[in-house]
Amino acid sequence: MIPRGSEAIRHLVTRIAMDLMPKATDAYTATDLGLFTALLGLVAQDYDRAAEVLVTEHAALMPILREASTHLDDAALKARIAEALAAPAPSLRISALTARSDTALKLLIDVHAAVEDAQAAGAAWAPALDSEIWRFLEAHVAAHSYESAL
Amino acid sequence: MIVRIDPETSLIDTDRRTEYRAMEAAYHAGLPAPEPLFLEEDASWIGRPFSVTSEVTGGQAAAGGIPPEHREAIGHRKWELLGKIAALDPATLGLGEVMAATTPATCALEQLDYWAKVIETDELHPNPVAHAAIRRLRRNPPPPAQKLSLVHGDYRTGNFLYSPDGEIKAILDWEMAHIGDPLEDLAWSLDPLWCWGEPTRAGLLLPHAEAVRAWEVSSGLTVDPEAFAWWQVFAALKGIGIWISSSEDFHSGASKAPILAIAGWLMTDRQQRILTDYLSPHSAHRFVRVVK
Repeated sequence: MIPRGSEAIRHLVTRIAMDLMPKATDAYTATDLGLFTALLGLVAQDYDRAAEVLVTEHAALMPILREASTHLDDAALKARIAEALAAPAPSLRISALTARSDTALKLLIDVHAAVEDAQAAGAAWAPALDSEIWRFLEAHVAAHSYESAL
Repeated sequence: MIVRIDPETSLIDTDRRTEYRAMEAAYHAGLPAPEPLFLEEDASWIGRPFSVTSEVTGGQAAAGGIPPEHREAIGHRKWELLGKIAALDPATLGLGEVMAATTPATCALEQLDYWAKVIETDELHPNPVAHAAIRRLRRNPPPPAQKLSLVHGDYRTGNFLYSPDGEIKAILDWEMAHIGDPLEDLAWSLDPLWCWGEPTRAGLLLPHAEAVRAWEVSSGLTVDPEAFAWWQVFAALKGIGIWISSSEDFHSGASKAPILAIAGWLMTDRQQRILTDYLSPHSAHRFVRVVK
């Protein structure tokens, strides 16, 4: 059996921590190797979950943007939302999904700012949408969080 | 002696002169800091600016290494010393010559503008939580600072040397020092990042309220809860700015030090969790915000 990505990375972590770190000839090298193991631990977590997180997030974000589009007056912002909603699904490569996510999150930043402006101006619909956006952001932060002993 | 050479890149953009003069001011004010001996800004000698200080022996900095029996004493001393920094007058110390001028009414938003620009310039991927924090802080500026003081800029457990018997021997890492609102340092020192895993023990040392009390007694200042709440959000945002900037350095190849990548990934994650906890209307408020 060939170990899968995150498993292989964890094997590398074990090898560095157990075999190479004790052989480091100075404190700086030993510290760097320790940090490499921690960094590889984060990479392993991302390797396993990245596709699911990126696809799930996109699915959760699109309804929020669609709802925002029904309320906002900014034509340019509405056009960007329409473009995001109509965009064909990319490949499932992480680079493609990440590029789509970056575009959508930039759009969310601008939409959130517009919703806050509307809320400050007393728009009755805005608090609920702001609340939805924060639910999305909470899930976004949780989905990208790392387990680490550091 | 210790020679500090300008790094090619680091977690933060450093200025050897600012660091040296801030440390010099602290040392001459009687605070525990390495004795500054020499500053050379001409890069022609060894390739980069450098400074020389006396060596402080017999201390260590690791936050996790503080003996449990000394946590309380070190904690009280830590915030007492921060209060003494807050009590310093930057004008009397001559720091206006090396640090940007500011006013009690504008220092907060100037700091916000600085770190917002760092985030906008260096973020490799969009950070919607950080941008929400920037907007929230801009919409709700704090009241003017009670006074302008020397702000250390990175005052936290891990940036001072302590002895095995529980004495703080030297405050280090003055490179982010500037003139500003003393609440900035207090909020940074109490950021939940510095007590991750033990959120009720500020800096892994003391309950937050005790830390604030020690600071108030020492500084002669009173914490305004409204202003402090602003600075708490700012502290978490500034952290994101530092971590984003460091990961950009790693990504661009300016440095391949793994600490930069770790900071960019893990610390950004944690700081975003803190900000979400502070700002979301659905927050369970896991982290301490009320400090008095």
